[in-house]
Amino acid sequence: MLTLRIAWRNLWRNNRRTAITFAALSLNTAVLIASFALMLGMLDDLVRNATDLVVGQVQVHHPKYRSERSIYDTVIKPGDILQAAASAGIAASPRAYGFGLVSHGKNSAGARFCGVFPEKEKKTVELYKHLLAGNYLPDKPGKKLVLGRKLAKTLEVKVGDEIIVVVQAADGSMGNDIYHVAGILKSMGEGIDRTLAMVHYKDMEDLFALNGTFHEIVLNSSGKMPEDKVAAAILPSAKGNEVMTWRQLMPPLNDMLNAMNGMLILFGAIFFLAAGLGVMNTMLMSTFERIREFGLLKAIGATPWRIIKEVSAEALLLGVASTLAGGAIGTFLAWYFQYHPIDLTGFAPDGISAMGVAMNPEWRATLSPETVWMPIVVMWIISLLAVLWPAVRAARLDPVKALVQV
Amino acid sequence: MKEILGLEAVTKEYGQGDIKVFALKDVSMSVNQGDFLALAGPSGSGKTTMLNLIGGLDRPTHGKVEVDGVDISRLSGGALSRLRLHKIGFVFQAYNLIPVLTAYENAEYVLMLQGASVKERKRKIMSLLKEVGLDGKENRYPRELSGGQQQRVAIARAIAAEPALVLADEPTANVDSKTAKALLDLMERLNTEKGITFIFSTHDPAVMDRARKLVHLKDGKIEEIEEKESKTREPNAD
Repeated sequence: MLTLRIAWRNLWRNNRRTAITFAALSLNTAVLIASFALMLGMLDDLVRNATDLVVGQVQVHHPKYRSERSIYDTVIKPGDILQAAASAGIAASPRAYGFGLVSHGKNSAGARFCGVFPEKEKKTVELYKHLLAGNYLPDKPGKKLVLGRKLAKTLEVKVGDEIIVVVQAADGSMGNDIYHVAGILKSMGEGIDRTLAMVHYKDMEDLFALNGTFHEIVLNSSGKMPEDKVAAAILPSAKGNEVMTWRQLMPPLNDMLNAMNGMLILFGAIFFLAAGLGVMNTMLMSTFERIREFGLLKAIGATPWRIIKEVSAEALLLGVASTLAGGAIGTFLAWYFQYHPIDLTGFAPDGISAMGVAMNPEWRATLSPETVWMPIVVMWIISLLAVLWPAVRAARLDPVKALVQV
Repeated sequence: MKEILGLEAVTKEYGQGDIKVFALKDVSMSVNQGDFLALAGPSGSGKTTMLNLIGGLDRPTHGKVEVDGVDISRLSGGALSRLRLHKIGFVFQAYNLIPVLTAYENAEYVLMLQGASVKERKRKIMSLLKEVGLDGKENRYPRELSGGQQQRVAIARAIAAEPALVLADEPTANVDSKTAKALLDLMERLNTEKGITFIFSTHDPAVMDRARKLVHLKDGKIEEIEEKESKTREPNAD
């Protein structure tokens, strides 16, 4: 106890210096917590949008489908997979894909058709919430289309307009029909924006002569379990198929997330380094001013270890006090940004997308225990590491020389 | 009387190669328990070097220094620290109190290093502070005490661990003659009543006058050892 008392009083010998270091450490901790929470919020948002909007956590395909995109490479025994997902409490949506031509007036464009069961799709992903205009597909088939934003722009169509569809069906015949635009999606990334044409599966089944086959099953637990567990839950019933998590499906996004994590670590390291140098500077000055005192302590019987302990106690106290203050401020800021997100619509009125994944224009922080305790504990460790050199220096002083130091 | 300190052919030299300065040269002497001894001599005569060697703060180039039967010239750094903690008390010319600690805490510090309990520390230090005339001033910081009072705290700290020897380096050099006399009275009383052995380094005639054994040093050698009778003390005048 006396050690801590001495440490605390020694810290406040030079009020201004200690106050500056205290403020710097507090600010560092607060900024780290708030920025970690914001970055985590951004990553969470990116992952959530990647998984919750279109891709889901896990997808099942025929092993050849992703490389060849052939209409004939359909999911093997989709019923078993859907049943396994239902019994594990995982939402699942089967999809069918096919290519064709869409035209309106003098405009035409290639499109990638995606047939879904709207009621299942809505339980699995949140694309239906991401509409720029009009409505999502009705639960019952009715030859309605939901188009990507740029495809709608190319065709110069608006909600309710008529579209002529021409496709090559699975049985080799040519399918053609008239559809109506039900809705237009917000920006979702280039692939979706330029080519996607969503229809009801039953309409697509007729158009492409699919005969109840699917090219993809999307699974999403909506955060209830990690993607690996979702994949594991349906794996036994997906024999012969390819089961992939979103990380495997979207390697660029996965790489980007890893890079962002790396940047976060680098960003933290710079802050920690600055904090460490601040503590070291304070403790070096503080020990330099007290050489005579350390000489006295050694003369009266204090061991080098005792002196290291005393000097370290000062740095640790400084670290603990300032990180607690900074922690409180940082936690408040993170909490505030969690409930009052930063509005980015002014910077990107058409929405933001990265790596083909739409991002929420409201930048929300994610406050988690890790974002609070990690910077604080690392700051304590940094404080202790930063004080080692000044402490060892003080402990190694020759008492005879130290005692005559002016 | 038990021999508490023995110096045997102690030499301390500084410098390297051909350039060597002898701070002490072939010094031998012994100190008995209860001695009140002053090392006297002009500046550069080797008084402080001798105190540093006796206190285990420095090591002799040649020779042997024995404190309470232990040859301290052969001890490791850690063992020397323990020896200083348990067997030697220091009083410095500039008091050398820790400014952020109160009078009580300064005296308590040594006992804390020894691992004494809070209760034992309190009992001992309160009684010691009373004994050195600082009753009621235990919560004052060094800056709130006069020079004489600070030196009393330093004396309390030096004797708190009940050492075999108290080494006092010019303990009266920074105080006026009246305070110096009071401090000498205090140390003499502690010597006669508690049997604490004091070794001073000084060139203050008042200290030399009060010492019962006077070792005259010159150019790093003992010139003369003078044994005297104790003198009548006057009341404290701090």
